[in-house]
Amino acid sequence: MLRQFRLRAVVTIAALAATLATGCGPPSPEATASGKVRTLTLGAYTTPREAYGKAIIPAFQRAWKEKTGEEVRFQESYLGSGAQARAIAGGFEADVAALSLEADIEKLAGAGLIKRDWKAGPHRGVVTRSIVVIAVREGNPKGIRDWDDLRRPGLQVLTPNVRTSGGAMWNVCAMYGAALRGGTTAAKGDTSAAEALLRDVLRNASVMDKGARESIISFEKGIGDAAITYENEVLVGRQSGRRYDYVVPHSTILIENPVAVVDVYADRHGNRDLADAFVAFLTTPEAQRAFADYGLRPVDATAKREVAARLPKVSDLFTIGDLGGWPRVTATLFAPQGVYERVMSSLKAKP
Amino acid sequence: MSSIAAPGTQGHGLALRAGILAYVGALILIPLSALLFRGLEGGLAGLREAVTESTAWQAVLLTLWTAAIMAVVNALFGTLTAWALVRYRFPGRGMISALVDLPFAVPTLVTGVMLVTLLGPQSVLGGWLAAQRMQVAFAPPSIVLALLFVTLPFVVRAVEPVLMEQDPAEEEAARTLGAGTWTVFLRVLLPPMMPAILSGTIRSFARALGEFGSIVVVSGNIPYRTLTAPIYIFGEIESGQPARAAAVSVVLLAAALALNLGARGIERITGARHGQA
Repeated sequence: MLRQFRLRAVVTIAALAATLATGCGPPSPEATASGKVRTLTLGAYTTPREAYGKAIIPAFQRAWKEKTGEEVRFQESYLGSGAQARAIAGGFEADVAALSLEADIEKLAGAGLIKRDWKAGPHRGVVTRSIVVIAVREGNPKGIRDWDDLRRPGLQVLTPNVRTSGGAMWNVCAMYGAALRGGTTAAKGDTSAAEALLRDVLRNASVMDKGARESIISFEKGIGDAAITYENEVLVGRQSGRRYDYVVPHSTILIENPVAVVDVYADRHGNRDLADAFVAFLTTPEAQRAFADYGLRPVDATAKREVAARLPKVSDLFTIGDLGGWPRVTATLFAPQGVYERVMSSLKAKP
Repeated sequence: MSSIAAPGTQGHGLALRAGILAYVGALILIPLSALLFRGLEGGLAGLREAVTESTAWQAVLLTLWTAAIMAVVNALFGTLTAWALVRYRFPGRGMISALVDLPFAVPTLVTGVMLVTLLGPQSVLGGWLAAQRMQVAFAPPSIVLALLFVTLPFVVRAVEPVLMEQDPAEEEAARTLGAGTWTVFLRVLLPPMMPAILSGTIRSFARALGEFGSIVVVSGNIPYRTLTAPIYIFGEIESGQPARAAAVSVVLLAAALALNLGARGIERITGARHGQA
């Protein structure tokens, strides 16, 4: 009896190992009865994981098979945006990169992996959007309405660590930008007042997780009164039965998530046509609807109209371009001598 | 060590030794020198600058002082635990002895999750602590607790063999001469245990300097307040600053190496070469 069990365990493990080995093998075209099988590797950040895995990839596989008779297999990898960019730049041969922010795609271009102008397509390479919002406890017991409410002494606020999370950078930009635009009680254009807002809110930060997803999970575990996060994180959390609310600040930032074909790797795998087709597919109404189902805001006009009624409107929505673009924001806000470091070091006195 | 080769096996012995040297060298020395090389890329001045940068320096200080508190508690309770386990027979003794080894078997990340489940705001204990206005979870006390958990076996397992070797007759003689339990412990038992306590404590301290898995979960990871050096290093790697990460790594590494050498020194001088966990 025991022996039989052991034997079965060994067989299972061997089978598992074999599956893993073939699953991880190099992409190689092979002939089947119905035609060629091709493999496309997608290197993405974690947020759209469900949208890709459950909806978009299966839909693309069907569409491609209808059009060409070829079967497409996907290898999907999901990591934090910065980590994924580093992995691809360091030799993870993804044909397509779907990342959280432009700066990370630019890293790949900077490494010589993206040869063409990836912003040439429709929507300038952006496939999804979201906004920075404040997640609050069900019924909003602390009466949080806007950024200024997060300054209240004693409030516990969650936001991820800017060193490890692209999401945390969006959060800081949202608050700082809102203040600069006069969207808070700070006077318009007053950089020191904007810095003061940031300081007061970050003084209330009780946990800085390493990513946006981990941060919202901490919030779901009952830590904190409010969490600064993406709208889609809240929507996905509520879809899976979590009970919390979110408020949209008067003034907040529009998050834009880009996708690009990694030319060097796609060419090496002979996948240029397939990768281009997949990226183009992402902005079709079908794919855009799927993104919207997982809480992301679409860029396609048709899908936009469809979800407009479902999602709250923002009074004053601004973009990273309004703050001078990523290179400038990185230099002024996140450099070693930048605003963020200055704010954090001014807080060190607090126990 | 050098003269144990039996006749005719000289060649084999040499090959074996060379093989072991190559193995240890490839496994430890090469990665070590790669890190040193990276950390010292900007010269000693660059290293100093990277480490004394205020976020980095505060992270190193936090790591050191939380590890120091842990080490003191560990020295005290580790010794008492070892003493109780060796000298007394009580129900559940085997169980406790097995539990002592558990921290080495439990993944440190799981340790962190356990502590948050115990101390987080949704738990009974966490709620009570919050009501008393005592910040434990996501504050330095939780870092110390996590460190205590992961380093528990060091002192216990270092002290145990020394106690076992000790002749109970000495203790009995002291008692016969009228010494109380406390006096026996301080004057008879403690002196021979000292080297083992010291080396166990130092090793636990060195181990604590690098602890990541449990702390990343139980600590708030806020720069200047609850961000320890290993998590700072992780953040620098993630944000594309490998040189700064390497610099702080070199400091932690140097500290751990020095401490381990110190522990070895104590063991060598006193001949107490037992029970390194």
